Amino acid sequence: MDARPVVILLLWYPHLLWAAGRSVEDTLPAKGLDEVIVTATRTERRMGSLSVPVTLVSREVIRRSGSLRLGDILSEQTGLAVVQGFGRGIQVQGLSPEYTLILMDGEPLIGRMAGVLDLSRITVTNIRKIEIVKGPSSSLYGSEALGGVINIITDGAAASRIGADLRYGRFNTSDASAEWSGRSGRFRLTSFLNHHASEGYSLLPNALQKTVEPYRRATGQVQLGYLPSSRVSLRMGIRATDDRIQQSILVQNLGAQLLSRGMETNRDLNLTPTLTWKPQERLTATLRGYHSRFASEQRLEVTDRGTAYADRFHQTFSRLEAQADLRTGDHAKSTLGLGMVQETVRSNRYDSLQILRSARNDYFFLQHDWQPDDRSTLTIGLRFDHNSLYTPVWSPKLSLHRRLGDRWRLQASVGRGFKAPDFRQLYLNYTNLAAGGYMVFGTQVAASEMRRLKEGGQIAQVLPTFDQLTTLRPETSTGINAGTQFAAAKSFTWKLNAFRNEIGNLIMTDIIAFRTGGGQVFSYLNVKSAFTQGIESDVEWSGFTGLRLSLGYQLLQTADKSVMRDIRAGKVFARDPATGLSQRLDRRDYAGLPGRSRHMANLKAFWESTDGKWNVNIRMLYRSRWGSSDRDGNGIINRPDEFAKGYLQVNASAGLTWKQGISLQGGIDNLTNYRDPLNLPGLPGINPFITLSWTWGQAFKSTITKNQKP
Amino acid sequence: MRSIFLLTTVALVFFASCQKEGDDAGTIMPVAVVTVRNLPADTIIGLSQIGQPFGAGKYTFYSLERNELVSSSDSATRRWDIGFRGTTIITNSGNSGPGAGGAYVQVGLFEELTKVSSDSVFRVDSAPAAYAIPAGSNRAWFVYNPQANLVTPIPGRVLVIRTANGKFAKVEVLNYYKGGQTPAVSATDDDKIRKQRFYTFRFAFQPNGTTTF
Repeated sequence: MDARPVVILLLWYPHLLWAAGRSVEDTLPAKGLDEVIVTATRTERRMGSLSVPVTLVSREVIRRSGSLRLGDILSEQTGLAVVQGFGRGIQVQGLSPEYTLILMDGEPLIGRMAGVLDLSRITVTNIRKIEIVKGPSSSLYGSEALGGVINIITDGAAASRIGADLRYGRFNTSDASAEWSGRSGRFRLTSFLNHHASEGYSLLPNALQKTVEPYRRATGQVQLGYLPSSRVSLRMGIRATDDRIQQSILVQNLGAQLLSRGMETNRDLNLTPTLTWKPQERLTATLRGYHSRFASEQRLEVTDRGTAYADRFHQTFSRLEAQADLRTGDHAKSTLGLGMVQETVRSNRYDSLQILRSARNDYFFLQHDWQPDDRSTLTIGLRFDHNSLYTPVWSPKLSLHRRLGDRWRLQASVGRGFKAPDFRQLYLNYTNLAAGGYMVFGTQVAASEMRRLKEGGQIAQVLPTFDQLTTLRPETSTGINAGTQFAAAKSFTWKLNAFRNEIGNLIMTDIIAFRTGGGQVFSYLNVKSAFTQGIESDVEWSGFTGLRLSLGYQLLQTADKSVMRDIRAGKVFARDPATGLSQRLDRRDYAGLPGRSRHMANLKAFWESTDGKWNVNIRMLYRSRWGSSDRDGNGIINRPDEFAKGYLQVNASAGLTWKQGISLQGGIDNLTNYRDPLNLPGLPGINPFITLSWTWGQAFKSTITKNQKP
Repeated sequence: MRSIFLLTTVALVFFASCQKEGDDAGTIMPVAVVTVRNLPADTIIGLSQIGQPFGAGKYTFYSLERNELVSSSDSATRRWDIGFRGTTIITNSGNSGPGAGGAYVQVGLFEELTKVSSDSVFRVDSAPAAYAIPAGSNRAWFVYNPQANLVTPIPGRVLVIRTANGKFAKVEVLNYYKGGQTPAVSATDDDKIRKQRFYTFRFAFQPNGTTTF
């Protein structure tokens, strides 16, 4: 390997890299396990030496697969399910989208709606790799890292080059990107532009309202680097996005049609200044700033009534963090971090746009890596978060990695994760006039709003839950992961991991009062507990020249513990669809949390000709049935008609690369044209596309069959 | 009062029809279980300014004692036991009517409720703030799913009714839509609105004034 890219990489992610000198020997022959991962420990580590389950998706796989947005490529990874609702969210180890932290170059992306960060907001065209760490990582990252952490690492310029991609597909979907990176003396510059647009599609015959409305999304990114000496580096990243999504909502009642048209606009801005200083071999100090702004606006107008609806949401997230990595000997290494976060939200969902809600979070984290012998690594981590709005949280984690001979490794970890109560749960002040006039109040405003309603004589009955309203506590999980990795020769690896997540203090909406006339008043309480558990297996085999096969599988079980309790007590009933009569629910009929598939599997084949000119791939993704919605009124998934059908999606593509840096990639997503309008509105049916790419300068080498993991 | 909407069926057989009064104390008196289908309950006649469907605002009154519809002109009498309007079910009690009625909601199976427990507390109507059978989703007998725009009776909810004359009955709502079939989630809103507010329910009335069924 050329040393230069490594040096540049070091300069882009220096705080992560000085650890590479440590004596974690990695003699496993399979190259996949040699891949460098930064997300799992916040220091650079080889995949094979990690004690937590990690998936790596390379740039080459993203490009070969023809993925455009983050959701496209994540949906093809073992154990990850892309779920619809407030955009496309990701389910990791059976946990809902709000419990997985999404980072871009190590910094959290903001702008979650009802807890979901819409993966469609993120282009993958300039992504160098995606690291997915499963299981709780709050000991390093704090809030939201329960199910896992997904870190999107964008192109740190490896060399001077210019590139452009142009893609066109069904539904007038176009995607255009341009990249430029250059270096001059001590300066580095990378810039990237992307424009993505589609006219949307209809899965149901309805001329007025599409399943996915026309949209366009633009992304711009600039990264600057300055290296005044070999010990200091300065880096500045700027990223901005602008999304516009047309909206039309049609309600048909008794022949009358109410059509609302409007526009949703989302804007995102991220600034990431970083200073790294390496005063001596053993010590690296990093000072990171991060400022992110997210502004969302939704405007709707009812065409024949003129009633305007406007929803605005502005969020900022500012963070200053210092991290020190210190080698304390040949077999030990410590990381210490300190930081503070200021978060603000303004929204007309909470009182008015004039009122600024804010929260301050101070934290520190420690991680110590210790090798008691040359076969074992023990990692201890601890993080403390002190927040102005909720009770303080300690997040410990302990993990162990051990080699058994040359081929086997064992890994085990146990850690705590948490998710802080969000602004919605604290400050929401919402009245729905249409659906029975229900109201939802965040816990911080519930008492005063209830007083106001009572004084106005609007409250019929106050429930005991109102008196249980307190300062919300963070939702917590304890996650255990244990598994093995096996590698034989250069061609075969097998990873197996078993997991269990115990989730407590789950925040749910609950009725706190009834208004005169029966309207309900809701607020938020830490009431529920649940678990997810399963087994995940990944097999990879590089067989004939240029061919790489992989097979992934996840078995998943989930349950709401209070439902389990009620079923055991005989207090849960179901309605027999044939007779219409109630019957006591059998425990075996309870299917666990909705939206979870018991089985998920993927089979992928990537082939590349030895001269690198031709490539072909096929990816088959299977999801067994999952709970869609309750039909018999008991609030849980138990009847066959309450499931969405399991399905198989087949994606394939092929490409040709010329020496002049021009390549052509054509593909078809969803070859079998599978559609389910109700449960899979994001799957548009068969979707052919063609991409033309041009690169000048040092192109990214084709690495798919060399050392990248598909 | 007869209605073409109404079809009543005697669903359960008189399983102990040979038993006579004056048998050993403790024997359960035979009560018939009757299923009432397609009982209209203030069906939708229009849409409000904000697209909210509404009915005429009238209750449909029913006599459990006589198993028949009661004319709304008799609303101020003891001739009816329960009344239906949308998802609201009233009892002939409190400020709803002059009767000695009342109700409470029991979690359990209709068949297993063989006796009104002695410590039961019957509530009376105090409209519009509080009904004997509480109004609202997920409170007494139904749950409303706003995404699907469907009303579903909660399984395992028995409405224990004290009739206008102080006798006892038990009621289970089976369906809220015409024909006793809840529309599919994918059905149009139009369909869901036209078909709603038609009750299918079963009940058992104990005519002898005891609390057993």
